[in-house]
Amino acid sequence: MLQRSEDREMFQPNSEKSYGLMEVVDGTSVMVEKAPEDTVFSWPHLVMLEIAWAMVVIILLHVISTYFNAPLEEIADASLTPNPAKAPWYFLGLQEMVSWTSPFWGGILIPGILVVLLLLVPFVDRRLVGVGHWFARERWVANTLWTVFAVGTITVILIGLYCRGPNWHFYWPWQDWPKTH
Amino acid sequence: MLPRERNSRRAIATLLQIPRNIWCALFREGYPGYPDTDLKRSTLITGNVFLHLHPVKIRRHALKLHYTFCLGGTAFLLFLILTLTGVMLMFYYHPSVPKAYYDMEDLEHIVNFGLLLRNLHRWSAHGMVAIVFLHMCRVFYTGSYKPPREMNWVVGVGLLLLTLMLSFTGYLLPWDQLAFWAITVGTNIANAAPLVGSKMRFLLLGGNIVGPNALLRFYVLHCVVLPLLIGVLMAIHFWKVRKDGGISGPL
Repeated sequence: MLQRSEDREMFQPNSEKSYGLMEVVDGTSVMVEKAPEDTVFSWPHLVMLEIAWAMVVIILLHVISTYFNAPLEEIADASLTPNPAKAPWYFLGLQEMVSWTSPFWGGILIPGILVVLLLLVPFVDRRLVGVGHWFARERWVANTLWTVFAVGTITVILIGLYCRGPNWHFYWPWQDWPKTH
Repeated sequence: MLPRERNSRRAIATLLQIPRNIWCALFREGYPGYPDTDLKRSTLITGNVFLHLHPVKIRRHALKLHYTFCLGGTAFLLFLILTLTGVMLMFYYHPSVPKAYYDMEDLEHIVNFGLLLRNLHRWSAHGMVAIVFLHMCRVFYTGSYKPPREMNWVVGVGLLLLTLMLSFTGYLLPWDQLAFWAITVGTNIANAAPLVGSKMRFLLLGGNIVGPNALLRFYVLHCVVLPLLIGVLMAIHFWKVRKDGGISGPL
């Protein structure tokens, strides 16, 4: 129930009682079992922030799209295999793992296990500590494991992007690739 | 006053009221004027189909930029930009070999702002994959997947996978060497799945090689099937944020 100041009622004290309802005070919600009010209205606080942030992102995208063109190579040709042929960057981790092991292990089993582990995270780690804080000290094991996962993911992607040359051999980004064709 | 004069005055008054009445019919749930009272601030949110994704009031903590870095919202914004630019690109694109590639060249050289349109779509798509991953990192590092938000983490993993699939299916559409061989490499990995691998690859490509059938299938997946799926999952994701008590914060 929203109590508005415009329909606030005045109560006359009852002369037969030593106590009485003096006034219904302004409030936005029932305050039973609640901490002190720590909320703000979505309008304008959240909505304005979203609009401002959306404008920043849209302007930034236009600037990037003005100065950097999306790649477009020659028309697809099934008879002309580039060496190396690379997957999109977000799948380079898979391609990297495939190159270490086999398509089944690196491309299916390990990624499959990783997805299952991801899905199980909230059902394994249920202790209600450190919620709402970045890098909570009590959660150092979970945070360390995730950091290993995230850094590992990014590293294999970077290796695939910049360090893989003809026949998937390793080359530093500043090394020249040997001529293959 | 003559009855005729009275009628004409009433007609003029009705005409003058039209803009106001249209406005009130459009925004009947809200109150007129700038939302400067609590009641108006509330009805602005609850009375608007787009704004009602938000709660009327949120915890101060949820507004802190250094808590969320707006990552989830940015992912959604990029999805909206991708939908808009994607639909515009569809007006210029034929999912057939070799027309698809020539459409890319036309976009670059002939269509007004075609290059900008394609660039916006491409960079937003890469950005969305990265931002969704960063959003997942934020949720992990702040322990936001813990009860009661377990199921929303699961929905989020689904959204990550759908984002990857959307990006992957879109990667083939320009039909250049980059697209062709990236999809060849990617679908060869799917081939390695036991029992169903080669069947799955055949189903996905509409054949044994990346050819015209694959282009059409990826196009339909990219423009219809996957956007619908991700739309449904996003609705569940946002709805659950509210049902689980708003975005996470200190207990």
